[in-house]
Amino acid sequence: MQARVIEFANVLRRNGIRVSLSENMDAFRALELIGIADPQLFRNALRTTLIKRSGDQKSFDELFDYFFLGIGQALDAIDRKIMEELGLSPEKFQEMLEQIQKLMKEMEGDLAELTKALLNNNRAELERLLREAMQQETQGGTPDSLRHTPYTRMMMRLGLDRVQSEIERFRGMLQMLGENGEDLQNVLRYLDERMRDLNRLLREVIQQEQRKQGAELRDSSQRGALADKSFSFYTEDDIRRMNDAVARLAQRLKNRLSVRRKKAARGRFDVKATLRKNMQYGGVPFLIQLDRRKKTKPQVMVLCDISDSVLNASRFMLQFVYSIQDLYAKVRSFVFVAEIGEVTKLFEEHDIQTAVETALKGDVIDVFSHSNFGRAFEQFHRNFFASVTSKTTVLVIGDGRNNYNRPNEWVLREVKQKAKQLIWLNPESRMTWGIGDSEMPRYAPHCHIAEECRSINQLYKIVDLIVP
Amino acid sequence: MFQSVDEVIAGLGKQKYLCNKNVATVVYLGTSLQKPLLVEGPAGVGKTELGKVLADSLGMELIRLQCYEGLDEAKALYEWEYAKQLLYTQILKDKIGEILEGAKTLQEAVDHVANQDGVFYSDRFLLPRPLLRAVLSEKPVVLLIDEIDKSDAEFEAFLLEVLSDFQITVPEIGTLKAKHIPLVVLTSNNSREVSDALKRRCLHLYLDFPDPEREKEIIQLKVPNVGDKLADEVVRLLHRLRKLDLKKTPSISESLDWVRALTLLNIKDLDHELVEQTMSALMKYEADIRKAHQELKSYLAEKQARRPDVSDDKDHLH
Repeated sequence: MQARVIEFANVLRRNGIRVSLSENMDAFRALELIGIADPQLFRNALRTTLIKRSGDQKSFDELFDYFFLGIGQALDAIDRKIMEELGLSPEKFQEMLEQIQKLMKEMEGDLAELTKALLNNNRAELERLLREAMQQETQGGTPDSLRHTPYTRMMMRLGLDRVQSEIERFRGMLQMLGENGEDLQNVLRYLDERMRDLNRLLREVIQQEQRKQGAELRDSSQRGALADKSFSFYTEDDIRRMNDAVARLAQRLKNRLSVRRKKAARGRFDVKATLRKNMQYGGVPFLIQLDRRKKTKPQVMVLCDISDSVLNASRFMLQFVYSIQDLYAKVRSFVFVAEIGEVTKLFEEHDIQTAVETALKGDVIDVFSHSNFGRAFEQFHRNFFASVTSKTTVLVIGDGRNNYNRPNEWVLREVKQKAKQLIWLNPESRMTWGIGDSEMPRYAPHCHIAEECRSINQLYKIVDLIVP
Repeated sequence: MFQSVDEVIAGLGKQKYLCNKNVATVVYLGTSLQKPLLVEGPAGVGKTELGKVLADSLGMELIRLQCYEGLDEAKALYEWEYAKQLLYTQILKDKIGEILEGAKTLQEAVDHVANQDGVFYSDRFLLPRPLLRAVLSEKPVVLLIDEIDKSDAEFEAFLLEVLSDFQITVPEIGTLKAKHIPLVVLTSNNSREVSDALKRRCLHLYLDFPDPEREKEIIQLKVPNVGDKLADEVVRLLHRLRKLDLKKTPSISESLDWVRALTLLNIKDLDHELVEQTMSALMKYEADIRKAHQELKSYLAEKQARRPDVSDDKDHLH
């Protein structure tokens, strides 16, 4: 059993779940206590000792099924089927098996292990043989692995032709013995069925193994691919999964911030406060007081372009903005196409999905007009410039495609002078900046940071830039 | 200690805490292997309650350490009682004078004092905080470290030593080793991912909201005079509400409060005008309450559609 558990831990590891040696040992100790009789307890014991992230629970359940129940379930199904086809009750079936066993003993010559297991209906043995073959198959690829299908290779490994000939011999012997009537017919049919079952079982095992391998590849590669995929190619499904990534990103931002705030909290020696605090000890400075540095609450203003040209990107960016607003106390969010509108209130009051959809639907501003960055910036200057302070970080998200309108880059120049930071995130590739109606070359010099932000990975990097 | 998984279910059940086999297995393993339990899950599924109930059912004392940002060793482990030490030196001034009497040089005086400093750094002036109390306790205890995710990463790292060796080093006194290994329950709301190092040392338990049948059992256990029909409907509505995107999903304890309120008002099923008004016991945000009202309406509408004749009958009865 220990070997099986270790093997299982390896499968978990291959699926990106971290399992340490000490956890493995915990699992053994747990199994010593719990035993392996009750499958549910067995599963629980493994889960609690090996799986420590709630996100991994699902993978664990899936892999556990493949690994421990896979062949067993298939065998169960086959047993039931045979009984049904032969029209035998479980007791009758057992009787027949015993009969066969007796006959097998009489038969001279060694039978292959697999034949024995098959005819005896020895499930544990059958399972072991199949699994071993499968393991050899996955570990050491045969030299002619390209010429044969996995199925034929497994057949060769298990020595299926030998089993076939042996069963034929068995049949011959039975007929020679000339047992009469129904019993013989049943046994013969049973043999036929068994042979077919073996084939079916083999296919099932191979399929499961492939699924297992597939599961391994699937998860890690998909997440990786998603991280590098450009926003504009996201499908609905991607977007849903992206929510998770955004949440993680926001969490990361939060962690970084809390570390920084804590570092900043320790200040210099404060004489006055120390004296006051130590009055109770007769003025002996037992407790040292440090002055607290003033906490600067980050103020963020986000301007997000939601025109058609960047629709997918802006949906994602709005989610990002929403998370930011959740994080910082003072965030004001704006969306713009040709006009600018504030969505801070909307984001505060609604959950993320409704808020983002409402913002994109055109309830706040007209989303069907052509983008006009210049005008939006001018409006921003007129209505909101007063709230930009020396502590404000201004974040602009947009492709800078201005439809040849007046760029009004002077707004950005003034914002840069007044604000703490001006950051521009562009969902377009840097190569295309300045081509066509893109005004990025005019805008970029006025920003502290102007970065291409086309995928979640780039966003991660930018978060590191913004929050050092 | 528990001898089997079923015993855990029975033991916790006696304290009116219903748990499934999964939870019971983990608890059983934790108590038998003497490993800390790390309980994760959404707010209000009974993580903290599990720790309390565990202490009750085993007849052990519960020592609770509530974590928060900025929690440090002094608050969690031990502190010297400065004020008391100072007071003692003041009172014992004469005695100290005596000790110093024979000394001729400053060096000698310092030596005399140094010989006595053990008096001031002894158990007498040590203020034990939860962790030290758990270690020093004469009887086995349950140590509940609540909301570990709220503490800082440094504190978590510090906890590693305590949890793996169950010993605490006080520089002035020496190393204090636990007489009995306490049963440790850590809870986390997952507001921050707990470090892998800590997770490795623990058994992991993910508590989720119970399935409808179990939740009904819980409600009927905790609010005995609730009607069967009301309990049924409440649970059904709760499960619908939890599927919504709410700022705060209704927890088990909140739903118990709500059911208590409903039974107090003698409400027998959810077709009652007062139901909407009592929902503030369940929901804590205005936006959530609004959503819950809508869900309640659609729930009642569906119910109406399912058995129109029954509700008609009821109108006649009025």
